[in-house]
Amino acid sequence: MSLLLQYLASGIATGCTFALVATGFVAIYRVTRVVNFAQGAFAVVGGMSAFALLGHGLPHVLAEALAVLLAAVVGLLVGLVAIGRRGTPALASLIITLGIGIGSYAVLILAFGDQPVSFDGVGGALAVAGVTMPRQFLLVAAVTAAAFAALALFFNRTYLGRALTACSSNPHAARLVGIDTTRMGLVSFALGGALGGLAGVLLTPLQPVAFNSDVGLAINGFAAAVFGGILRPGTALVGALVLGVAEALVAGYSRASFQSGVALVLMLALMVWQASRRPAVAEDAA
Amino acid sequence: MRRRVGIGIGVAVAIGTLLLPIALDDSQLTVYVFIGLATIVVAGLSLLMGYAGQVSLGQGAFYAIGAYTTALLAKLLGLPPLLALAAATAGTAAIAVVVGLPLLRLRGHYLAFATLAFQLIVLSVIGEARGLTGGDIGLPGVPTLSVGPVALEGQYRTFVFAYVVWALAGLALLLNRNLVRSRPGRALRALATSEAGALAAGVSVGRLKLQVFALSAAYAGLAGGVYAFFLSYIAPGSFPVLLSIQFLIMATVGGLGSITGSLVGATVITLLVQVLTAVGTLPGMPLHAPAVFSYAVYGLVLVLILLLLPEGLVPAVQRRWRGA
Repeated sequence: MSLLLQYLASGIATGCTFALVATGFVAIYRVTRVVNFAQGAFAVVGGMSAFALLGHGLPHVLAEALAVLLAAVVGLLVGLVAIGRRGTPALASLIITLGIGIGSYAVLILAFGDQPVSFDGVGGALAVAGVTMPRQFLLVAAVTAAAFAALALFFNRTYLGRALTACSSNPHAARLVGIDTTRMGLVSFALGGALGGLAGVLLTPLQPVAFNSDVGLAINGFAAAVFGGILRPGTALVGALVLGVAEALVAGYSRASFQSGVALVLMLALMVWQASRRPAVAEDAA
Repeated sequence: MRRRVGIGIGVAVAIGTLLLPIALDDSQLTVYVFIGLATIVVAGLSLLMGYAGQVSLGQGAFYAIGAYTTALLAKLLGLPPLLALAAATAGTAAIAVVVGLPLLRLRGHYLAFATLAFQLIVLSVIGEARGLTGGDIGLPGVPTLSVGPVALEGQYRTFVFAYVVWALAGLALLLNRNLVRSRPGRALRALATSEAGALAAGVSVGRLKLQVFALSAAYAGLAGGVYAFFLSYIAPGSFPVLLSIQFLIMATVGGLGSITGSLVGATVITLLVQVLTAVGTLPGMPLHAPAVFSYAVYGLVLVLILLLLPEGLVPAVQRRWRGA
């Protein structure tokens, strides 16, 4: 029983980081209709630069905050390349972000080396209901919850957030009322970068992150995002938690190498199911 | 006049390319073989992306399936190599049909992620099926290619392989050219222009897409099979996700849907990576230099081509040449 709870806890913790990556996908896709293949790389940038900053003696929180900021800047730059040029088709933007993702390997190796890195998060463990739970799990869950609450406020209560939502529901109408959709696209890329960076900062203490960890993160994040048709952050959160727990259970009770298979098969089945139920899912928005 | 000069240049380049192996040493010939293999895969991918409008990030998976099927049939069952190769090509196409039936309901980025996922699943299956595939350690001792009693061995092995591979690449390109000009080819071009339009004109869109998907997989399977014979050792590590991305880059650089573009894309990218690896392994370079160079070039080339020459090298040059 306590083993089950342990798996559940660690599944929820990794699920939370998937959720942040997934929301990054959602934030960018909603506004630009571009699926950003570099989303996993944002998390890697966040995690590895936090490691480097801590290594330079910066205190916790400050180092992590700077790393998230850096990931946001990287997100903005990726956005500039991917959608900055007018008339870039969404599919070309997808391949451009793929190219950036690969190119990022070179930069990451040069900046941080080619070995996986990890740093200590909050140390210690709590005993909850007979289960020892690392404090880092609680931190991850708390920060993720706070991030989602902030996002909900941002999208529903602020002018910028509502402008982003407007771009997502009808770009033409948004432009008519004077919203610069390209600029909103760039804002969404920066937001996606920050969310990815946050995921990386939280994940790195749980499991080491290397320059090429982005594929796994992106696959898991995308799988979670697909739950909500890449449009709804809330559903993506649910999807990410389901995915994280499912993977933890498979790794715990079966074999660790089947873990990623769960995400992949689940994602494929879900996508095909959605596509067969609603042809609209497969339709590329104009 | 310009057209004739163009054809003349093309013929000269073709003859030069075919005579080239005589002047190359074994390690250069190996690169030559790899260019030929990549051309075969890219010919299929270019058709799939250029005409059917489907992005596949899983061509490396079909390459791996072709390689493993060929190797297992030839090694464990002792099938004659040519038969093993043919069976693997057909088998890869059959797997593509089975996988494509559900997956091709997806489009654009969904399909890109789905094919990527497919490759990861294939790799993990190969890694897990240790009894059959040798797992992550790989499968050594794949017999060489042979026709009846004549086996490709000895001093001229690589040299003959070079011609075999390029003959196959030539066949693939020829098949593409004829296909695009035939009745299904016209349907394909209609599909490339507008899916709804093609559907309205009576093209059975889903079926056509599946056929092109299977054909592109067959090409990849064929190339993978020859690869297994050529290297006589295969492992999951030979078919990373990066390989699929590499094929995608080649197809994009050459020009999607362009017949000669597949050849040009495969050649340009393979040679570029070779040069960079040579530079990266010069004395005094850090250990990770070759990897850094190739990642940087993949990224840069892909982004620059898509932003500056979205149609690809060959179509862009052709348009300039015709003075349009």
